[in-house]
Amino acid sequence: MHDWIALVRERLLPLDLPPKEAQEVVAELAAHLEDFHEEQIGKGARESEAQQKTLNEIVRWRQLARNIQRAKHTEEVMNPRTKQLWLPGLVSLTTALFSPMVVALMRLGDLPQSLWLALLPVCGGAAAYLSRRAGGQRFERIVSALFPVGALLACFCFILLVSTFATVRFFTLSDFVHYSKWAFPQGAALLLGALPFLRTRSGGTPSLS
Amino acid sequence: MTKRIRSQIARGSAELAILALLAEQPLYGFEISKRIQEKTGGALHFTLASLYPMLYDLEKRGWIAGRWQPNRAGRDRRYYCLTPAGKKELAPLRREWNFFFQALDRLAGVTNA
Repeated sequence: MHDWIALVRERLLPLDLPPKEAQEVVAELAAHLEDFHEEQIGKGARESEAQQKTLNEIVRWRQLARNIQRAKHTEEVMNPRTKQLWLPGLVSLTTALFSPMVVALMRLGDLPQSLWLALLPVCGGAAAYLSRRAGGQRFERIVSALFPVGALLACFCFILLVSTFATVRFFTLSDFVHYSKWAFPQGAALLLGALPFLRTRSGGTPSLS
Repeated sequence: MTKRIRSQIARGSAELAILALLAEQPLYGFEISKRIQEKTGGALHFTLASLYPMLYDLEKRGWIAGRWQPNRAGRDRRYYCLTPAGKKELAPLRREWNFFFQALDRLAGVTNA
Protein backbone atom coordinates (compact mmCIF):
# COMPACT_ATOMS: atom_id res chain seq x y z
CA MET A 1 0.00 0.00 0.00
CA HIS A 2 1.54 3.28 -1.09
CA ASP A 3 1.26 6.51 0.81
CA TRP A 4 0.54 8.68 -2.21
CA ILE A 5 -0.43 11.63 -0.05
CA ALA A 6 2.99 11.70 1.61
CA LEU A 7 4.70 11.36 -1.76
CA VAL A 8 2.75 14.23 -3.33
CA ARG A 9 3.16 16.44 -0.26
CA GLU A 10 6.88 15.88 -0.24
CA ARG A 11 7.44 16.45 -3.96
CA LEU A 12 4.97 19.25 -4.57
CA LEU A 13 6.67 21.59 -2.13
CA PRO A 14 6.89 24.52 -2.16
CA LEU A 15 3.18 25.01 -2.78
CA ASP A 16 2.34 28.53 -1.76
CA LEU A 17 -1.35 28.13 -1.05
CA PRO A 18 -3.47 28.47 2.11
CA PRO A 19 -3.06 25.27 4.19
CA LYS A 20 -6.57 23.94 3.60
CA GLU A 21 -6.36 24.53 -0.12
CA ALA A 22 -2.90 22.96 -0.33
CA GLN A 23 -4.16 19.94 1.58
CA GLU A 24 -7.03 19.56 -0.84
CA VAL A 25 -4.73 19.76 -3.86
CA VAL A 26 -2.40 17.17 -2.37
CA ALA A 27 -5.33 14.83 -1.61
CA GLU A 28 -6.71 15.21 -5.12
CA LEU A 29 -3.40 14.56 -6.88
CA ALA A 30 -2.69 11.62 -4.56
CA ALA A 31 -6.10 10.15 -5.40
CA HIS A 32 -5.30 10.48 -9.09
CA LEU A 33 -1.98 8.66 -8.66
CA GLU A 34 -3.70 5.97 -6.64
CA ASP A 35 -6.29 5.40 -9.38
CA PHE A 36 -3.62 5.42 -12.06
CA HIS A 37 -1.49 2.91 -10.16
CA GLU A 38 -4.47 0.60 -9.66
CA GLU A 39 -5.32 0.84 -13.30
CA GLN A 40 -1.79 -0.25 -14.25
CA ILE A 41 -1.99 -3.20 -11.89
CA GLY A 42 -5.39 -4.05 -13.36
CA LYS A 43 -3.82 -4.06 -16.81
CA GLY A 44 -1.37 -6.70 -15.62
CA ALA A 45 1.69 -4.58 -14.86
CA ARG A 46 4.05 -5.71 -12.13
CA GLU A 47 4.17 -3.62 -8.97
CA SER A 48 7.52 -1.98 -9.76
CA GLU A 49 6.45 -1.31 -13.33
CA ALA A 50 3.11 0.18 -12.21
CA GLN A 51 4.86 2.37 -9.70
CA GLN A 52 7.34 3.65 -12.26
CA LYS A 53 4.57 4.46 -14.73
CA THR A 54 2.65 6.27 -12.01
CA LEU A 55 5.64 8.36 -11.07
CA ASN A 56 6.19 9.17 -14.75
CA GLU A 57 2.83 10.95 -14.72
CA ILE A 58 4.64 13.91 -13.16
CA VAL A 59 8.19 14.62 -14.15
CA ARG A 60 8.50 18.28 -13.27
CA TRP A 61 7.01 18.67 -9.82
CA ARG A 62 8.21 22.24 -9.33
CA GLN A 63 6.62 23.33 -12.58
CA LEU A 64 3.40 21.57 -11.62
CA ALA A 65 3.39 23.41 -8.28
CA ARG A 66 3.90 26.71 -10.11
CA ASN A 67 1.15 25.94 -12.62
CA ILE A 68 -1.28 25.00 -9.87
CA GLN A 69 -0.52 28.18 -7.95
CA ARG A 70 -0.97 30.24 -11.09
CA ALA A 71 -4.23 28.50 -11.95
CA LYS A 72 -5.64 28.90 -8.48
CA HIS A 73 -4.49 32.34 -7.55
CA THR A 74 -3.31 34.54 -10.37
CA GLU A 75 -6.04 37.08 -10.50
CA GLU A 76 -6.73 38.84 -13.74
CA VAL A 77 -6.45 42.60 -13.62
CA MET A 78 -10.17 42.79 -14.32
CA ASN A 79 -12.80 40.12 -14.05
CA PRO A 80 -14.93 39.28 -17.12
CA ARG A 81 -17.96 41.20 -15.82
CA THR A 82 -15.89 44.37 -15.53
CA LYS A 83 -14.43 43.97 -19.00
CA GLN A 84 -17.71 43.04 -20.65
CA LEU A 85 -20.12 45.38 -18.90
CA TRP A 86 -18.83 47.98 -16.44
CA LEU A 87 -15.85 49.31 -18.39
CA PRO A 88 -17.69 49.64 -21.73
CA GLY A 89 -20.63 51.15 -19.83
CA LEU A 90 -18.33 53.67 -18.23
CA VAL A 91 -16.85 54.56 -21.63
CA SER A 92 -20.34 55.12 -23.00
CA LEU A 93 -21.34 57.23 -20.00
CA THR A 94 -18.18 59.31 -19.99
CA THR A 95 -18.17 60.03 -23.70
CA ALA A 96 -21.89 60.83 -23.67
CA LEU A 97 -21.54 63.21 -20.73
CA PHE A 98 -18.32 64.86 -21.69
CA SER A 99 -18.82 65.45 -25.39
CA PRO A 100 -20.88 68.65 -24.76
CA MET A 101 -18.16 69.83 -22.34
CA VAL A 102 -15.40 69.19 -24.88
CA VAL A 103 -17.32 71.18 -27.47
CA ALA A 104 -17.74 74.00 -24.95
CA LEU A 105 -14.04 73.92 -24.07
CA MET A 106 -13.16 74.17 -27.73
CA ARG A 107 -15.12 77.39 -27.67
CA LEU A 108 -17.52 76.14 -30.26
CA GLY A 109 -20.45 77.30 -28.20
CA ASP A 110 -23.19 75.18 -26.67
CA LEU A 111 -23.66 71.82 -28.26
CA PRO A 112 -27.15 71.76 -29.77
CA GLN A 113 -29.36 68.93 -28.52
CA SER A 114 -29.72 67.49 -32.01
CA LEU A 115 -25.97 67.41 -32.56
CA TRP A 116 -25.50 65.74 -29.19
CA LEU A 117 -28.05 63.11 -30.17
CA ALA A 118 -26.14 62.61 -33.40
CA LEU A 119 -22.98 61.95 -31.37
CA LEU A 120 -24.61 59.41 -29.07
CA PRO A 121 -24.53 56.51 -31.56
CA VAL A 122 -20.73 56.77 -31.48
CA CYS A 123 -20.80 56.41 -27.68
CA GLY A 124 -23.18 53.45 -27.81
CA GLY A 125 -21.19 51.86 -30.63
CA ALA A 126 -17.91 52.21 -28.75
CA ALA A 127 -19.39 50.56 -25.65
CA ALA A 128 -20.93 47.68 -27.60
CA TYR A 129 -17.70 47.19 -29.54
CA LEU A 130 -15.60 47.07 -26.35
CA SER A 131 -18.04 44.69 -24.71
CA ARG A 132 -18.04 42.39 -27.74
CA ARG A 133 -14.26 42.49 -27.87
CA ALA A 134 -14.11 41.40 -24.24
CA GLY A 135 -16.40 38.46 -25.03
CA GLY A 136 -19.64 40.05 -23.84
CA GLN A 137 -22.92 38.49 -24.94
CA ARG A 138 -25.65 40.50 -26.66
CA PHE A 139 -27.25 41.41 -23.33
CA GLU A 140 -24.00 42.89 -21.97
CA ARG A 141 -23.43 44.83 -25.20
CA ILE A 142 -26.90 46.38 -25.05
CA VAL A 143 -26.70 47.22 -21.36
CA SER A 144 -23.24 48.77 -21.69
CA ALA A 145 -24.41 50.86 -24.67
CA LEU A 146 -27.48 52.06 -22.78
CA PHE A 147 -25.50 52.76 -19.64
CA PRO A 148 -25.80 56.59 -19.82
CA VAL A 149 -29.59 56.37 -20.03
CA GLY A 150 -29.69 53.93 -17.11
CA ALA A 151 -27.44 56.20 -15.07
CA LEU A 152 -29.57 59.23 -15.93
CA LEU A 153 -32.81 57.52 -14.93
CA ALA A 154 -31.22 56.23 -11.73
CA CYS A 155 -30.11 59.77 -10.98
CA PHE A 156 -33.63 61.14 -11.53
CA CYS A 157 -35.06 58.39 -9.31
CA PHE A 158 -32.63 59.33 -6.57
CA ILE A 159 -33.46 63.04 -6.83
CA LEU A 160 -37.17 62.24 -6.78
CA LEU A 161 -36.69 60.12 -3.66
CA VAL A 162 -34.70 62.85 -1.90
CA SER A 163 -37.24 65.45 -2.94
CA THR A 164 -40.10 63.35 -1.54
CA PHE A 165 -38.58 63.52 1.93
CA ALA A 166 -37.45 67.13 1.68
CA THR A 167 -39.42 69.96 3.25
CA VAL A 168 -39.75 71.66 -0.11
CA ARG A 169 -40.45 69.37 -3.04
CA PHE A 170 -37.96 70.64 -5.61
CA PHE A 171 -38.44 67.72 -7.98
CA THR A 172 -41.91 66.35 -8.56
CA LEU A 173 -43.19 63.31 -10.38
CA SER A 174 -44.19 65.46 -13.35
CA ASP A 175 -40.60 66.78 -13.47
CA PHE A 176 -39.41 63.20 -13.46
CA VAL A 177 -41.71 62.29 -16.35
CA HIS A 178 -40.74 65.46 -18.21
CA TYR A 179 -37.00 64.84 -17.97
CA SER A 180 -37.25 61.08 -18.40
CA LYS A 181 -38.89 61.59 -21.80
CA TRP A 182 -35.42 62.42 -23.06
CA ALA A 183 -34.30 58.93 -22.22
CA PHE A 184 -36.15 57.52 -25.23
CA PRO A 185 -34.39 59.41 -28.02
CA GLN A 186 -31.08 59.09 -26.17
CA GLY A 187 -31.58 55.37 -25.72
CA ALA A 188 -32.56 54.98 -29.35
CA ALA A 189 -29.47 56.90 -30.49
CA LEU A 190 -27.16 54.83 -28.28
CA LEU A 191 -28.78 51.61 -29.44
CA LEU A 192 -28.49 52.67 -33.06
CA GLY A 193 -24.73 52.94 -32.65
CA ALA A 194 -24.60 49.58 -30.90
CA LEU A 195 -26.58 47.78 -33.63
CA PRO A 196 -23.62 46.78 -35.84
CA PHE A 197 -21.96 45.16 -32.83
CA LEU A 198 -24.95 43.16 -31.64
CA ARG A 199 -24.62 40.50 -34.30
CA THR A 200 -22.81 37.36 -33.21
CA ARG A 201 -19.62 37.23 -35.18
CA SER A 202 -19.66 34.49 -37.79
CA GLY A 203 -15.97 34.94 -38.42
CA GLY A 204 -12.91 35.29 -36.26
CA THR A 205 -10.75 32.82 -34.50
CA PRO A 206 -11.84 30.51 -31.75
CA SER A 207 -11.16 31.38 -28.14
CA LEU A 208 -7.87 29.69 -27.65
CA SER A 209 -6.71 31.41 -24.53
CA MET B 1 5.55 31.78 -32.33
CA THR B 2 4.64 28.34 -33.72
CA LYS B 3 5.05 26.84 -30.27
CA ARG B 4 2.80 29.53 -28.82
CA ILE B 5 0.10 28.92 -31.42
CA ARG B 6 0.32 25.18 -30.82
CA SER B 7 0.05 25.59 -27.09
CA GLN B 8 -2.92 27.93 -27.47
CA ILE B 9 -4.70 25.48 -29.74
CA ALA B 10 -3.97 22.64 -27.34
CA ARG B 11 -5.26 24.68 -24.43
CA GLY B 12 -8.39 25.78 -26.24
CA SER B 13 -9.21 22.26 -27.40
CA ALA B 14 -8.55 20.88 -23.92
CA GLU B 15 -10.95 23.37 -22.39
CA LEU B 16 -13.62 22.42 -24.89
CA ALA B 17 -13.01 18.71 -24.27
CA ILE B 18 -13.35 19.09 -20.50
CA LEU B 19 -16.42 21.31 -20.65
CA ALA B 20 -18.15 19.04 -23.19
CA LEU B 21 -17.44 15.99 -21.06
CA LEU B 22 -18.70 17.59 -17.88
CA ALA B 23 -21.85 18.71 -19.68
CA GLU B 24 -22.80 15.02 -19.81
CA GLN B 25 -22.17 14.19 -16.15
CA PRO B 26 -20.03 15.14 -13.15
CA LEU B 27 -16.63 13.40 -13.19
CA TYR B 28 -13.46 13.45 -11.15
CA GLY B 29 -10.00 14.17 -12.52
CA PHE B 30 -8.88 10.63 -13.25
CA GLU B 31 -12.20 9.81 -14.94
CA ILE B 32 -11.95 12.97 -17.05
CA SER B 33 -8.50 12.06 -18.38
CA LYS B 34 -9.59 8.46 -19.02
CA ARG B 35 -12.80 9.43 -20.79
CA ILE B 36 -11.01 11.92 -23.01
CA GLN B 37 -8.44 9.33 -23.97
CA GLU B 38 -11.12 6.72 -24.68
CA LYS B 39 -13.42 9.01 -26.60
CA THR B 40 -10.65 10.37 -28.81
CA GLY B 41 -9.05 7.00 -29.39
CA GLY B 42 -5.93 8.21 -27.62
CA ALA B 43 -5.51 11.27 -29.84
CA LEU B 44 -5.96 13.52 -26.80
CA HIS B 45 -4.13 12.52 -23.69
CA PHE B 46 -3.98 14.33 -20.36
CA THR B 47 -1.33 13.65 -17.80
CA LEU B 48 -1.91 14.63 -14.23
CA ALA B 49 0.45 17.58 -14.72
CA SER B 50 -1.55 18.97 -17.64
CA LEU B 51 -5.03 18.21 -16.33
CA TYR B 52 -5.22 19.68 -12.85
CA PRO B 53 -3.89 23.20 -13.51
CA MET B 54 -6.50 23.40 -16.25
CA LEU B 55 -9.29 22.16 -13.98
CA TYR B 56 -8.31 24.68 -11.31
CA ASP B 57 -8.20 27.44 -13.89
CA LEU B 58 -11.67 26.55 -15.20
CA GLU B 59 -12.89 26.43 -11.61
CA LYS B 60 -11.43 29.86 -10.90
CA ARG B 61 -13.23 31.24 -13.92
CA GLY B 62 -16.45 29.83 -12.51
CA TRP B 63 -17.14 27.48 -15.41
CA ILE B 64 -16.85 24.30 -13.36
CA ALA B 65 -17.25 23.53 -9.65
CA GLY B 66 -15.58 20.79 -7.64
CA ARG B 67 -17.06 18.88 -4.70
CA TRP B 68 -15.72 15.97 -2.68
CA GLN B 69 -17.92 12.89 -2.65
CA PRO B 70 -17.36 9.14 -2.60
CA ASN B 71 -16.95 7.31 -5.91
CA ARG B 72 -18.37 3.86 -6.67
CA ALA B 73 -15.55 2.23 -4.70
CA GLY B 74 -16.43 4.40 -1.69
CA ARG B 75 -13.29 6.54 -1.93
CA ASP B 76 -13.53 10.30 -1.69
CA ARG B 77 -12.90 11.96 -5.03
CA ARG B 78 -13.34 15.57 -6.12
CA TYR B 79 -16.15 15.54 -8.68
CA TYR B 80 -16.39 18.43 -11.12
CA CYS B 81 -19.62 19.59 -12.67
CA LEU B 82 -20.44 22.28 -15.18
CA THR B 83 -21.83 25.49 -13.67
CA PRO B 84 -24.51 27.60 -15.39
CA ALA B 85 -21.72 29.96 -16.50
CA GLY B 86 -19.83 26.99 -17.96
CA LYS B 87 -22.93 25.85 -19.83
CA LYS B 88 -23.32 29.33 -21.21
CA GLU B 89 -19.68 29.31 -22.32
CA LEU B 90 -19.82 25.89 -23.96
CA ALA B 91 -22.30 26.68 -26.76
CA PRO B 92 -20.34 29.58 -28.31
CA LEU B 93 -17.10 27.65 -27.79
CA ARG B 94 -18.50 24.74 -29.79
CA ARG B 95 -19.66 27.08 -32.54
CA GLU B 96 -16.29 28.78 -32.72
CA TRP B 97 -14.42 25.51 -33.01
CA ASN B 98 -16.86 24.27 -35.62
CA PHE B 99 -16.25 27.43 -37.60
CA PHE B 100 -12.51 27.07 -37.11
CA PHE B 101 -12.47 23.48 -38.39
CA GLN B 102 -14.68 24.36 -41.36
CA ALA B 103 -12.39 27.24 -42.25
CA LEU B 104 -9.32 25.03 -41.91
CA ASP B 105 -10.99 22.38 -44.03
CA ARG B 106 -11.77 24.87 -46.76
CA LEU B 107 -8.17 26.00 -46.68
CA ALA B 108 -6.32 22.74 -46.28
CA GLY B 109 -8.85 20.02 -47.10
CA VAL B 110 -8.08 18.23 -43.87
CA THR B 111 -11.17 15.97 -43.91
CA ASN B 112 -10.20 14.38 -47.22
CA ALA B 113 -6.58 13.84 -46.22
